Amino acid sequence: MSASHAVAVLLDDDLVTFNRVVGVVRRRNLPISDVSVGPSQMAGVSRLTFFTEADEAAAERLVRQLEKTFGVRAAAIYAADDAVVREVALVKVRALPAARADLLTVVSQSGGTLVVEHNGVCIVEVAGDATRTAACIKALERFGILEVARSGAVTLRSPSTTPAPHSAEVTL
Amino acid sequence: MGEILTGAQILCRELAAAGIDTIFGYPGGAIMPFYHALPEFPGLRHILVRHEQAAAHAADGYARATGRLGVCVATSGPGATNLVTGLATAHMDSSPVLALTGQVSRPMIGRDAFQETDVIGLTLPITKYSKLVPDITQLAASVREAIAIALEGRPGPVVLDVPKDVQNQKLAYEPPPAAPLRASGRVQLGSLEQQVQEAARLIAEASRPLLMIGHGVILSKAYDDVRALAEKTGIPVITTLLGISAFPESHPLHLGMPGMHGEVHVNRAIQHADLIVGIGLRFDDRVTGNTAAFAPRAKIIHVELDRAEIGKNVKPAVGIVGDARTVTRLLTDEVRARNCDEWMAEIRGFVRPRAEAFSGDLSPEAILASIYEITGGHCTIVTDVGQHQMWVAKHYPYERANTHITSGGLGTMGFAVPAAMGVHLARPDEPVWAISGDGGFQMNMAEIATMVQEGLSVKMAIFNNGYLGMVRQWQQFFHEKRYSCTPIWSPDYVKLADAYGIPGWRVEQRTQLDDVVRAASVHRGPALVEFVIAQEANVFPMIPPGGSLSEPIEAAPAGAPAV
Repeated sequence: MSASHAVAVLLDDDLVTFNRVVGVVRRRNLPISDVSVGPSQMAGVSRLTFFTEADEAAAERLVRQLEKTFGVRAAAIYAADDAVVREVALVKVRALPAARADLLTVVSQSGGTLVVEHNGVCIVEVAGDATRTAACIKALERFGILEVARSGAVTLRSPSTTPAPHSAEVTL
Repeated sequence: MGEILTGAQILCRELAAAGIDTIFGYPGGAIMPFYHALPEFPGLRHILVRHEQAAAHAADGYARATGRLGVCVATSGPGATNLVTGLATAHMDSSPVLALTGQVSRPMIGRDAFQETDVIGLTLPITKYSKLVPDITQLAASVREAIAIALEGRPGPVVLDVPKDVQNQKLAYEPPPAAPLRASGRVQLGSLEQQVQEAARLIAEASRPLLMIGHGVILSKAYDDVRALAEKTGIPVITTLLGISAFPESHPLHLGMPGMHGEVHVNRAIQHADLIVGIGLRFDDRVTGNTAAFAPRAKIIHVELDRAEIGKNVKPAVGIVGDARTVTRLLTDEVRARNCDEWMAEIRGFVRPRAEAFSGDLSPEAILASIYEITGGHCTIVTDVGQHQMWVAKHYPYERANTHITSGGLGTMGFAVPAAMGVHLARPDEPVWAISGDGGFQMNMAEIATMVQEGLSVKMAIFNNGYLGMVRQWQQFFHEKRYSCTPIWSPDYVKLADAYGIPGWRVEQRTQLDDVVRAASVHRGPALVEFVIAQEANVFPMIPPGGSLSEPIEAAPAGAPAV
C-alpha cells in the first residue's frame, strides 16, 4: 500500500449523503485509491474508507470538511501504516477439465476457495491483505481470467497505534 | 385526525409557521400547485422577480439584513438552474436561504421529462443541505429540518425539491413532532475555558496585537462585545470586507480593511503585528495574500464557529470553536485591561497619503460622501462586485451595524440590484442604495420591473466608466494593458428609467451631485442615478494576486495613462 493516509467516514446510509461525501473529496481533486463502502457497527450507518496520497495538511482539511457535512457522523484520518487492511476478491476463471486438478491446487495454495463451478467456468473467492489477493489473482491468470471483482480495501485502525492529535476515533 | 391538506398547502403552512413573511419567486409548471395554494396564505407576501437568479439574491439580501431565513421559489429545470448562482453566493457568505423547487412528478423522474433536472445533484456542493421530498408524509418534517439546518451554527442555503405530485398529494395534516436537530459536527479543541485563558495570556504578552473581525461578528450580532474587547485592551481593529460595519469606522481604534485592496497602513500593521486575534472570519486569500508571507511575526488566535475553518488557511496558536459573541464575551472577561498606545502610534506612522488620484471632479469618493451626507448615514449600502465595491468598502464611513451588504466570497456580479430588493423588504423604513458598476448593473437590470410592480423603493447608483473596470485594471497591471473585451457599452440609463416609469438622472459634474442624490433620496419609490466617472480610474493600493501584503502596488505601471 503506497498511499500515505487512510480516511474513514461514518455516514448515514443513503445515496444523497454518499454523493455529498464523494463530492467533498472529488472537488479537492485529491489522489485517492481503494474506495470501499459498506455497513458499519450501527444500523443505518455506512462506513466509507479510502486511501490518499495527499499530504497530511490537505488530508486533515478534508476530514474537517467531511465532519461538517450533513449526514456524516464521524470522520478520521490515520497513517496507512497504522491501518489493518483486508479485501475480498472474486475471480471468474476458466476451469477446463484438463487443467482442473492444477487449478484446484493453485486455489488451495493461494488461500482461495472455489465457490461455484459450471460448464467449465468457476468462481474463486480469496480474502486477505492486498498482497494475498493480488498473488492469488496472478496465480490464476494462466487459466484464463474472465472477470475480477474486488471489494476495495476495508480498514480499521490497529488498536496498537495511538490516534494522532485532532483525529477522533471513528466511533459513535 | 388533522385537517386534510395538499402538499402545497402544507408547504405554505409550514413556511408561515416558521415566521416567513416574504417569498421571492417565479412560477412554472412543476411548482404550480404551490402557487395555487399561496393565495390562501396572505401572510406570505410573494415578490415576482424577472429571473430566478434575482429571487435567490433577494432572499440572500433579506437574510443578511434580518438574520432570519430568506426564501426563494422556482420551478423545475431552468427555474432551478437559474437559482444556482444565488445559492452559491449565499453558501460562500454563510447566508441562511431556503430554496423551494418544484420537481417533475415522481413517475417522470429519471426519464428526461420536460423541464426535469437533477436539482439535488446540481446544488450538492453549494448548499448546506438538500433533499428531494419523496412523499407527503415527510413534507412537513422536511421543511422544518431544512429551515433548522439553514439557520443552525454557521448559516447557509438549503434546497427542498418537491415533486409536483407530492405537492398534489393529500394528507390529514398533523404538525410534526419536534425532531432533534442533526447538527453538523462541532468539536471543541480542548477545554473552552483553557483556550480562552491561553488567548488572554497571549493578548497580555503581545506588544503589537490586532483584532481582525469578519462576517461572524455580524452574523452573531457581537458588535458591542467586540467593541468592549477592543476598548478594554486598546487593540486596533481591522474589518474584513464582510466584517465592514461590524465596528464603527469613526472609532479611534478602527484601522480599515486588510488584504488585496486594503490600505497600506492596515497591511503593514498586519506584517508588523506579533498577535492577530481573528474573530468570525476565514482568512481567505483576498485577506492574506500569500499565506507563507502573511503576518510573519504574529501568533494567531482564531475564533470561529466552523471548526473546519480553523487551521484551513493559516495555522493558529490558539483555535477556539464558538460563535463570535459568546467567545468574545468570555475573552473580554478574561483579559486584563491594557492599552496599545505605542503600537497605535507606530501604525499611525505607517499611514500613507491616499494612493488613489481620481481625475475629473466626479470621484467615487465624492459620490459616496454625498450619499452619506444626504442620507445622514442612515441607509444600507448594497454593493455589486468590482472597483466600485472596493471604493465603497474603503471610503464609505460605516457607523451603523450591518449596513454594508456585498457578495464577498463568490464575488457575484449582478448581486446588488436584486439583493437590495430583499434588503428593502427587510428594512422598509430605511433608504437602501444598490451601487453597481455598468457591467454588474446590466446583468440584473430587468429587476427594475420587479421594483415597479411590487413598489420596492431601491435607489440604484451606477458607477459608469465604460469598462469592466476591475478586469481592465488587471489587464493594465498584469496583461500588458491589452484591454481585451473589457470596454462595455451601456444604454441611455435615463431613458431606461423613463421606460420603466421611474426617475433617472445622469451625473457628470460635481456640481450636479448633491441635488441629484437628494432628489433620488426623497423620491418615494425606485430611482436610478448614473454617475459618469473617469474611464481608467484604478483601485489603489493593490496586492498582486498571490503576492505578499508587504508589497503593494501604489501607482499604475509606467507608460500607463495618468488618471
